[in-house]
Amino acid sequence: MRAVISMIKNKVVFLFLAIVCGFANAEIDIVITEGMSFARPIAVVPFQYEGLAEQPPHDMSTIIAADLRRSGRFNPMALSDLPEQPTRYEDVNLDKWKDEGIEAVVVGKIEQKTPGQFTVTYQLIDVFKPKQTLIDGELVSTNDYVLLDKIGSTNDKNFRFYSHQVADNIYEALTGQKGAFATRVAYVTVDRSLPQPYQLYMADSDGYNPIRIYSSTEAIMSPTWSPDGKSLAYVSFENGRSEIYLQQIYTGQRKMIAAFPGINSAPEFSPDGSKLALTLSKDGNAELYVLDLDTRKYRRLTRTGVNVIDTEPSFSPDGQHLVFTSDRGGRPQIYRISIHGGRAERITFEGEYNASANYTPDGKSIILVNRTNGVYHIAKQDVESGIMQVLTDTMLDESPSLAPNGSMVIYATIHNGRQVLAAVSTDGRFKARLPAKRGEVKAPAWSPFLVK
Amino acid sequence: MSIKGLGKSLTIFLASLLMFACASNTEDQGPTETVVDQNDTEVVEDTGPSQEELERQANEAARQVRTIYFDFDDSTVKAKFQDLLRAHAWYLSRNPGVQVTIEGHCDERGTPEYNLALGERRGNSVKDILISYGVNSSQIRTVSYGEEKPANPAHNEEAWEENRRAILDYEG
Repeated sequence: MRAVISMIKNKVVFLFLAIVCGFANAEIDIVITEGMSFARPIAVVPFQYEGLAEQPPHDMSTIIAADLRRSGRFNPMALSDLPEQPTRYEDVNLDKWKDEGIEAVVVGKIEQKTPGQFTVTYQLIDVFKPKQTLIDGELVSTNDYVLLDKIGSTNDKNFRFYSHQVADNIYEALTGQKGAFATRVAYVTVDRSLPQPYQLYMADSDGYNPIRIYSSTEAIMSPTWSPDGKSLAYVSFENGRSEIYLQQIYTGQRKMIAAFPGINSAPEFSPDGSKLALTLSKDGNAELYVLDLDTRKYRRLTRTGVNVIDTEPSFSPDGQHLVFTSDRGGRPQIYRISIHGGRAERITFEGEYNASANYTPDGKSIILVNRTNGVYHIAKQDVESGIMQVLTDTMLDESPSLAPNGSMVIYATIHNGRQVLAAVSTDGRFKARLPAKRGEVKAPAWSPFLVK
Repeated sequence: MSIKGLGKSLTIFLASLLMFACASNTEDQGPTETVVDQNDTEVVEDTGPSQEELERQANEAARQVRTIYFDFDDSTVKAKFQDLLRAHAWYLSRNPGVQVTIEGHCDERGTPEYNLALGERRGNSVKDILISYGVNSSQIRTVSYGEEKPANPAHNEEAWEENRRAILDYEG
């Protein structure tokens, strides 16, 4: 229940305790390893609380500050350094914050009038905008410095997730890009000391509230979210070989999707959720297929023939193309094919191995695993120019998954002899490790936006 | 074939059945049964082991090894495993009722999904060689575990060497 944030590059180590209650629990810590020197200085002032209980179920302002810090874009001020602790925008003394070099301040208030129900008001203030302005030579008050002024409500159960939504709104007001804090990440844990070593989990984007989706004595692979955020498709070896399952997260309803002879692998939903791209080797070698989830009909997409591997299909944001991995040219490289099939076009040429490609949500780049001189890293390739940028400097990086706003990539890597999750911003500046309390963690899959 | 010869063949057949039963439960525990078998043969046969018997013994000894290893990112079977696979083929073609499952495995380097396909290709390489030695394809099943079932879960060169493998499993 401790969040540890250490900024190794800046040689500054912050330790703070996130005060959490009840079932809220993080199985995964977050250690920021690089990139805070680019982060904008802001402040999240502790929210005032008026209510029936002694305190709200979670420390909302701490959750918001941690989210903003974890985006790599912001460096929230330590609580002990705050020059004042106002709770309403009218009371903010802009000069005090300017003197501290702070660009923006978040203030807020939580009220509880009914048991379990909370009203939350919050404002975001731009420190560099004046409270008064000259109009026709007269000094007039203005609210231009209030970038965000919101009121909302939540309850005991959703309090923590609601805090992430507040952070999303603040992030969007400051960056113009939708926030992705109120999202979840699915991942597979392997703890060989357990009777069921393989477990599929989902947790909030900050690692809290881990919920077990499925556990097994046999391996689990390749979880992927349906675009509505309500189900996960994944590969399970529960019958001694790879088969694809589709599981409703909230009802637990589970069905087998593909169990053909050979491998059943690499499921990936189309953007509209109506289809599932997957890899089957029922006809001899690993080829791509598209399954229509309504009609249950399979369409074979590639026909490369003997001994070629085609796998890891992933749809373009417009659903018209797929990128996939193929070793038809000798080594694995990324190819692009129309959803109608036809000729595939090779799109990666740098390094000896490129695999596991996914489009960024804007369709302008692909994120992939690149091997150059035997070293595996997460890389980004510009679709238009073909220029590739290596994003990570960790070891044996694999399974990259993008945040739905395209800002961050979560992936699996090896650190200190253990497989752990790590994150890197898509500009490569911000890096963090997400060590688990025990066992190994892999196959992360970032959810779509869960709040409309 | 003489009565004595038939008796010998029967003994060998029963002995190999026994060996198969034991070996499928405990991998690489074969030599004990081979010793018993040799004693048995000495009692029946006065003039020492025949050519056929010597071949059988050699094949049975070779067949006790169930794992073959691959080079990194490669699914071609190395020539040094030829005798081993010939021995398994010898056994399978003489026992058409026996099924073998070839498990294909990879080390953790590279993506798990690509490795699942690579593990299958390794299994198929082994299968193709067994078929070329005369084994009926219906006796062979392949399954790929990719990098999901490492023999050694460590993350280093030594573990990777142990993990790039195909296993001939007679239990399946």
